[in-house]
Amino acid sequence: MILAIDTSTSRTSVGVIDEGVLVWSGYRDGATAHGRALPALIQEAIIGRPIAEVIVGMGPGPFTGLRIGIACARAFALAREIPLRGVCSLDAIAPHVSSKDFIITVDARRKEVYWARYKNGVRVGTPAVNFLSAIDSEGSEIFSDLYPDLLAMVALTDIVTEPIYLRHPDAVATVNR
Amino acid sequence: MNQPIVLGIETSCDETAVGIVRGRTLLANVIASSVEEHARFGGVVPEIASRAHLEAMQPTIMQALKIANISLRDVDAIAVTAGPGLVGALLVGVGAATGLALGLDKPMYALNHLAAHISVDFLTHAAPIEPTIALLVSGGHSSLLQVNEITDSIVKLGATMDDAAGEAFDKIARVMKLGFPGGPAIDALAHKGDETAIDFPRGLTTANDWRTRPFDFSFSGLKTAVARYIEATPDYAKANVAASFQEAIVDVLLLKSLAACKATGIDSLIIAGGVAANSRLRTLAQARCEKAGVRLRIPAPALCTDNGAMVAALGSLMVAAGRTPSPIAFDADSSLPVTTINI
Repeated sequence: MILAIDTSTSRTSVGVIDEGVLVWSGYRDGATAHGRALPALIQEAIIGRPIAEVIVGMGPGPFTGLRIGIACARAFALAREIPLRGVCSLDAIAPHVSSKDFIITVDARRKEVYWARYKNGVRVGTPAVNFLSAIDSEGSEIFSDLYPDLLAMVALTDIVTEPIYLRHPDAVATVNR
Repeated sequence: MNQPIVLGIETSCDETAVGIVRGRTLLANVIASSVEEHARFGGVVPEIASRAHLEAMQPTIMQALKIANISLRDVDAIAVTAGPGLVGALLVGVGAATGLALGLDKPMYALNHLAAHISVDFLTHAAPIEPTIALLVSGGHSSLLQVNEITDSIVKLGATMDDAAGEAFDKIARVMKLGFPGGPAIDALAHKGDETAIDFPRGLTTANDWRTRPFDFSFSGLKTAVARYIEATPDYAKANVAASFQEAIVDVLLLKSLAACKATGIDSLIIAGGVAANSRLRTLAQARCEKAGVRLRIPAPALCTDNGAMVAALGSLMVAAGRTPSPIAFDADSSLPVTTINI
């Protein structure tokens, strides 16, 4: 069975997938709730379920919550000596949309969004962070406020090994002040 | 029964640290620091630290296991710093610790960073820790504590009203252009200077202060005095300033520590935290404690600065004392008071 985890949005989502079927899933909402929500969800998810692989959303998403999911997923896989697979969280949202061409955005705070463009359901280019008004939708519909689909994560083949931050860490070097 | 093996994770500031102990034997103490990435900013940048923690976490765990020559399956309990510290940084360690505890199905202890600093002494000195007075001095904290039982009862006697001692070192080092972190640079330079050259002020040591706040510290006046002296003395002798500034801090730290021993009737002092690695503090503490008849313990310098061994050490003490493990779901607390030893 596969343990799927995503903490890239304000929702902490955990699921267990067995041969293409979502056999357990749970979530908690709250932009600062990941630290508490994630272990509670995993604890419930794994009872009586032998986990053979972990899949985790690598963002983009607000950093603090995102890192909790990745740190926890990596450590769990390490402890169980099972493989870990990272995927782009936006790609896990895309299967919710039935249109062919569309744009997925998630809240990036500071009035910006993380986003990616999809054509024929497949991502075109790399995710980016911008003001929503600055995105040229090219006539495609923009979908916001959706959450990653845990079952869809399993099917993703584009492997991501590092967190997708898209922003530099905030700071100004003293030499530049 | 075999001694339990505890793996401790510490990520409260800029060190990604993993320590492993068996009972009171240190098996591994691995530290990956992002200090060089912060140096050009003159201080720790939280987001840089948090990213570095996530990157270093897994390799640091692996290396600690390798040095300890054990596998994760041999670990009996996980210990992790739950606060105080930078919240984004803490959460990386907490995420990893909960992942390990869930994956291994082993108990986890969410612990206080400050109590861990004190408990690391248990790895280097055979005598029981309690009861003792503890002077905890680092870049983020300066407090005087009465430790009745390290896993259960710590009473705060006093703390800094403004800067932490280590912070004062960093800020003066910056004024003197000695780089970051400032403690080791000032310590080294002070060896070549005369600590009696300049009479810098000792904060909160007037007769009134001794009556009203005997165990509190203040370093902002000292900082200002040093900055003014440097401004007014363009060709100042750097080594003398370093030595005199350091002496002013060390002097007041020890005056108040020994006053706390006297007031409580406890003739034992532990000095812990990053500033406890300062060579002048160690030397002067030795001399003054001997004179006052106080038993002094200071962990080895490598165990004074932030590390994972101290978290594992406190975890080991929690296991030995039969304390209840922490719930798997808890909130890291950036301002966890020292009186809360575990969550």
